[in-house]
Amino acid sequence: MKLNLNLILTSVTFFLSGCVTSTIENARDVITDSYNGEAVVVMAKSYHQGNETEADYINCIEKSLGNGRGALNVLPTQRFIDNLFPWFEPRTAPTNTKGLSELMSKMGVSKAIDTMGVRYIIWLDGDTERITQGGSLSCVAGPGGGGCFGFAWWQDDADYEASIWDLDSVRSAGTITADYSGTSFLPALVVPIPLIARTQAKACSGLTKQLKDFITNS
Amino acid sequence: MLYFYINLFRYLIYTIDRIQLIKLENFKFLTVLIFIIISGCASSVTIKETNIPKPHFKKSPLVVALRIPSEFDNFIHKENVLGQKEWSINLGSSHASLFEQVFGHMFSNVILLGPKDEASDYVFDALIEPKIDSFEFSVPNQSKTDAYVVWIRYRIKVYDSFGADFSTWTLSAYGKSHLKGLNKQKSLQKAANLAIRDAAALILLQFEKTTKIGTLVNKSHKSVNFNQSPHIE
Repeated sequence: MKLNLNLILTSVTFFLSGCVTSTIENARDVITDSYNGEAVVVMAKSYHQGNETEADYINCIEKSLGNGRGALNVLPTQRFIDNLFPWFEPRTAPTNTKGLSELMSKMGVSKAIDTMGVRYIIWLDGDTERITQGGSLSCVAGPGGGGCFGFAWWQDDADYEASIWDLDSVRSAGTITADYSGTSFLPALVVPIPLIARTQAKACSGLTKQLKDFITNS
Repeated sequence: MLYFYINLFRYLIYTIDRIQLIKLENFKFLTVLIFIIISGCASSVTIKETNIPKPHFKKSPLVVALRIPSEFDNFIHKENVLGQKEWSINLGSSHASLFEQVFGHMFSNVILLGPKDEASDYVFDALIEPKIDSFEFSVPNQSKTDAYVVWIRYRIKVYDSFGADFSTWTLSAYGKSHLKGLNKQKSLQKAANLAIRDAAALILLQFEKTTKIGTLVNKSHKSVNFNQSPHIE
């Protein structure tokens, strides 16, 4: 009975989901030394560079990397930023590996990074945007009841890029790009039936899987 | 605005009375409802003091006096956003806390002076006096994005131990926070905290170089002329 209930719930979830298509590209710049459980930090590229990565997406990547199969040792971002204050603030954070090598020569920076045991910094860039929407839906309520009629749809695009910096060699280890596109539908005949495409969530799980593979199979 | 709400209240009572859905003794509920509607038309945000982490810097051996202006004790910014509600941003003593922390991290000896303290009663190499030139913010409707943005412009004046104007530095700090995943109050709080941290980072990295305050080292003496200086209020 319990199995049947799970099967029904899974089937309902499957049929009530919108469509999501994905493209993930992985480019490794250098072969890095094997991963031995060193700490990884997830950072968003600065808004001073026009980056709009959502806080909840960064949290999702951070949590997902630290959990599940092939979990990495993820250091909380704020702790890393505070320990290296003021070098990783939005205005001061290095924008490329040349800036990183200059930063490593500053007083106390290398030591602080060694103390925290950080090996990789993952820089996230990109965001999820609603690129198009259409249809119409109207709802009416009265003393005798109410209902909705119509059909609405919208398409979200989640484009993210993760640049991985290896602090041991002070070089860029590689880049992973994730491009997800999802279309959601909302038909309504008295009761609205949402068929939601979880584009951002899928982009989070897809990019996390690639990041785990990238780092553990270095 | 009040006139509008009184009329709205009257209209509601009239309508409800007409359709006989509510009796006079239930007006308390309506009053509460109207109060909620009215209070929802003003946004109030309180900014907690921002913790400025200890940097990996060597402290300068300068003895500095830091004069905190009285406006830093309880700074409240009120602004009517066009076509929207009034915003009240209470930064409390965040500005005072910023300068106390950041100069505490930079200099070995910091003498804190209140607005009424006489600078001439103390011995120091330099006196630092920060002020707020402007505090500005933007909400998503204004910027047509989903971000709250805060700009703070500080003017920091440095005087030597004789009370003479040594240098002035104006710095603009910036903080931005997206609304996604946060409510509007938290988003604005985050933007303000980021702006204050931005100011701290700028001061730590550029203050000595820009103001050349380091050249005042070991020039401290108790100045009797301090009160005669037109620059020190």
